[in-house]
Amino acid sequence: MTPEGISELISRVTLRDRAAFDILYTSTSAKLFGVCLRILGNRSEAEDALQDIYVKIWNKADRFAVADTSPISWLVAIARNHSIDVLRARKPAAAELEKAVGIAEPSPNPEQSAIASGETRRINDCLNQLDTERASAVRGAYLNGESYELLAIRHRVPLNTMRTWLRRSLMKLKECLEG
Amino acid sequence: MSTIPHDDTMPEGDDFVAAEYVLGVLPDPERREVARRIESDAAFARLVSNWQRHLDPLDDEFQPVTAPQYLKSEVDQRLFGIDSGRAGTGVSFWNSLAFWRIVAFAALALVVVNFGREFIQRQAGQAPSQLVASMASDTGPVRSVAIFDDKSRKLKITLVAGELPQDKSLELWLIAGKDAPVSLGVLKSPKVTEFNVPAATAAKLRDGTTLAISVEPVGGSPSGAPTGAVVAAGSVSSI
Repeated sequence: MTPEGISELISRVTLRDRAAFDILYTSTSAKLFGVCLRILGNRSEAEDALQDIYVKIWNKADRFAVADTSPISWLVAIARNHSIDVLRARKPAAAELEKAVGIAEPSPNPEQSAIASGETRRINDCLNQLDTERASAVRGAYLNGESYELLAIRHRVPLNTMRTWLRRSLMKLKECLEG
Repeated sequence: MSTIPHDDTMPEGDDFVAAEYVLGVLPDPERREVARRIESDAAFARLVSNWQRHLDPLDDEFQPVTAPQYLKSEVDQRLFGIDSGRAGTGVSFWNSLAFWRIVAFAALALVVVNFGREFIQRQAGQAPSQLVASMASDTGPVRSVAIFDDKSRKLKITLVAGELPQDKSLELWLIAGKDAPVSLGVLKSPKVTEFNVPAATAAKLRDGTTLAISVEPVGGSPSGAPTGAVVAAGSVSSI
């Protein structure tokens, strides 16, 4: 499905077109389920999250009109934000922290996809200009939903140091991306 | 802003908070607070969407995993099912319908100001059959009111807020139930555009029908179906 096709489906969902909603689910749910699974790390939570996400998409479809982004990025952002909300609301957070040791540290280099777009190459080039450890923290946060708390434990630094690190890395990243 | 402070000083500012929200690293209470701010602070919301755009390319690395089809049935059940009593989100859907009714009702006052004189003059005969719809969106600037006179089959529409775009057209659509949207035409003027509605389409204009405005290429959608973003929508009520 092309981005234009997905945009059209979202517009039709705004118009309460249930057939369009069916097609939107068929063509985008695998990607969004992939997001939920990766961030939440367990299937039953990911399934619950995916339902909530499509309910949100139905209810908030009109917001796509004013979002300055591609349709699939808009959908992934809804899925990511929701999954991270669920992750942060978990009680106790200890379960998440156990992952700090359990999960392999994300590779500083991207998992090579067959067709990396120019933009994907660009952000990876910019991430590669950061220290390996810091690039890995940025990627771990974005792709695995890792919190400051977890990153601090993983990198064995105090929370505030982690935050300082990450903010400085983000500053450099932005300079590179906008430069 | 681009000067890097001494090594152990934490850089401060909204732009970092926006970036941290998009990355997702903030703890729960702080994250909720930032989410609320996005809804209420447009300048801050722009910082967030700017960061989101920067980081979007990383989305490529989320590998698709086929989702079980029964999940879609659960979603449909929650959104459209008769058993909606248990679904919290179902409630917000109905709230939003109620919201539209209130908006449409409030719009009557505007209708009287904009179109009233003309209709009052015509009130000599039997009870007029007129329908009104107020169209808006939670997020966009466009607000519009349409009024339809069943006898003459003329539909008049005016923009209450927002403007006609320079290099695009705004197209008005009628959506009756589950039918595909039907184009009523392109808005010609921000003041009043008048459409002659064909009898078959007019028959679908009744209480509860949705009217919506989408952004289309100049002259209207080439495909006959809406292709661009919907900037306002609302349901029709009789007056």
